[in-house]
Amino acid sequence: MDFNPCMKHQVVRKTVREFAENEIGPHAASLDREGRFPTEIIEKMGPLNYFGLQVPPSLGGAGLDTISYAIVIEELSRVCAALGLCVSVHNSVGLYPILRFGTDEQIARFVPDMAAGKHIGAFCLTEANAGSDAGGVETTAAKTEEGYTINGTKIFVTNGGVCDVVLVFAVDAGGKEQSRPNVFIVEKTCPGFSVGEIEDLCGMRANPVSSLFFEDCRIPETNLLGKPGQGLKIGLTALDTGRIGIAAQALGIAQAAFEAALSYAKERQQFNSPLTKFQTIQNYLADMATSIESSRMLLYRAAAAKDKGGDFGAQAAMAKLSCSATARTVTDLAVQIHGGYGYSREYDVERYFREAKVTQIYEGTSEVQKMVIARHLITRPS
Amino acid sequence: MENNTLDIIVCIKQVPMVSELPWNSKTGTLKRELAQGMMDPASRLALEAGLRLQRAGQSQDRRIRVTALTMGPPMAEEVLHQAVSLGADHGILLTDRKMAGADTNLTSFILGRYIRMFKPDTGLVLCGAQTSDSETAQVGPQLACELDFPAIGWASDIRLTQNALVVTRLVDDFMETLEMDLPGLVTIDLGAFVPRYAGLAGVAQAFASPKIDVVDADDLELDRNFNALEDSPTRILDVFSPATQKESRVLKGAAKTVVDQLFADYGKIISSAMGKDLKKK
Repeated sequence: MDFNPCMKHQVVRKTVREFAENEIGPHAASLDREGRFPTEIIEKMGPLNYFGLQVPPSLGGAGLDTISYAIVIEELSRVCAALGLCVSVHNSVGLYPILRFGTDEQIARFVPDMAAGKHIGAFCLTEANAGSDAGGVETTAAKTEEGYTINGTKIFVTNGGVCDVVLVFAVDAGGKEQSRPNVFIVEKTCPGFSVGEIEDLCGMRANPVSSLFFEDCRIPETNLLGKPGQGLKIGLTALDTGRIGIAAQALGIAQAAFEAALSYAKERQQFNSPLTKFQTIQNYLADMATSIESSRMLLYRAAAAKDKGGDFGAQAAMAKLSCSATARTVTDLAVQIHGGYGYSREYDVERYFREAKVTQIYEGTSEVQKMVIARHLITRPS
Repeated sequence: MENNTLDIIVCIKQVPMVSELPWNSKTGTLKRELAQGMMDPASRLALEAGLRLQRAGQSQDRRIRVTALTMGPPMAEEVLHQAVSLGADHGILLTDRKMAGADTNLTSFILGRYIRMFKPDTGLVLCGAQTSDSETAQVGPQLACELDFPAIGWASDIRLTQNALVVTRLVDDFMETLEMDLPGLVTIDLGAFVPRYAGLAGVAQAFASPKIDVVDADDLELDRNFNALEDSPTRILDVFSPATQKESRVLKGAAKTVVDQLFADYGKIISSAMGKDLKKK
């Protein structure tokens, strides 16, 4: 058991950090303030393989392992969590299910452009009456002679405002398999597809999260992903993968907040001493670092488990639960260490504080992660 | 240069990432043992220069091979993987405890010995003009002496013609263009290029099929008593951080009095910082 990162993972981290600090960092605060999706940065990231992280090189991707994937999302999110979110969702729940469950024809048709960053991917499950409860999905897909007709509204879709390809969770319209949902690949050019207004959110404001409308949206039969009735399996697999990405995102936010707090505590003088001389602040910093390191171990273990094959769902849920809780507590303490300045938009920690919360909500709330973990504990052979 | 092929060697150094290093205030030195390594920025530009020639060669139907060469501890292999992920064809690590502690003189000797023994057909050697950790600017010129190559320092641009290399460099306030027969050596000035970013596919590929060769003192047939630390003629007597003192001073009184006093006491410093004489209207 070696807990030291290998040379490859160190190079991956340095490679992403250099790009993120030079090309994204100077704009992260203004993107958040303006709620602007940085198309110009996305265009730079495409040729560098950020949108095909685990796609085989033969299809134009980077062919990275899952620990590398987690490091990429962690490093992007350390600088700009909204962009880390875009890349994470695109790769994990937008693209990966097509690679995993798609036909050769679907892979050839969709993956190369998605891997090149020319087409942005999204995944939509949540509705007004469904989210954590996937069984409550009301969006329907009716089989027609030409293919399928989808009707329904999806909400809080990450990348919704800029997606070109979206995986849609829908149940059969009135059929006997109504309880067995399917996943469909919908292109933005499909008739009947439209994008709602961009949500006015607390954080992740540079990501165009929106509703998506499907009004008699017609798609060809070849856009059904996987076998009929396989939607739940595809969805759960996608979410397991997505949770590694969101855990990495949360960890990146926590790391950024910790670095900012440590730097500030070294410089800020009170009572003629830097803050780091005060034991309370030392305790805060020690708690923050310990929490980050323990969450990081869980995350990389889950990522390694995915690469080994087999069920990694519980480990991904533990990683997501832990990393998102770490992000919340660390960003909270980072604001506290900054005092009044931490509550000001002049400092980045208030942004980290706003961004951290949602990592406990999307890709399965913390409560759902505990359900997943508990189910694993209870049902596994003793 | 044979059969329209050019072999380029780019000398790369792994340097400590100073921004992340703790500073020992008592000794005035960097705590290098805690250092994270990075590719020296000037070496990165030398590599960029080589990769641009490599790309230009493709359009001219010339085969240009770029080899990244470094000497250092085993961990220096990392910068070679970075070089390969950026586009170098392969990397060579010269590493051995006997080579540790080499000054610029012996570093040049060892690099030159490798090139003469293993890459005798090298057409062009590129180095950063000076590294970010020691800033001597000595290795490039000394290596040229070792190889008996012509050398041009502080290049801001290089271009290949059919039989020669055209080098542009900034000298004082004017640009100078020189032509050099190959084989030769050029050092690249900081700021010469904007280096490319590595793609993640390149990183994965660099590790999926490693193209790094490791060479030790025996391979180089160095004397068995060779000891770079003891044999280096350079002795560093002291390394220290120049002490700077900050002093605050509050000027009191009417605005005109304060401004007059400010310029009387600090006018020269302000003029110097602004680059113009404030006394001139």
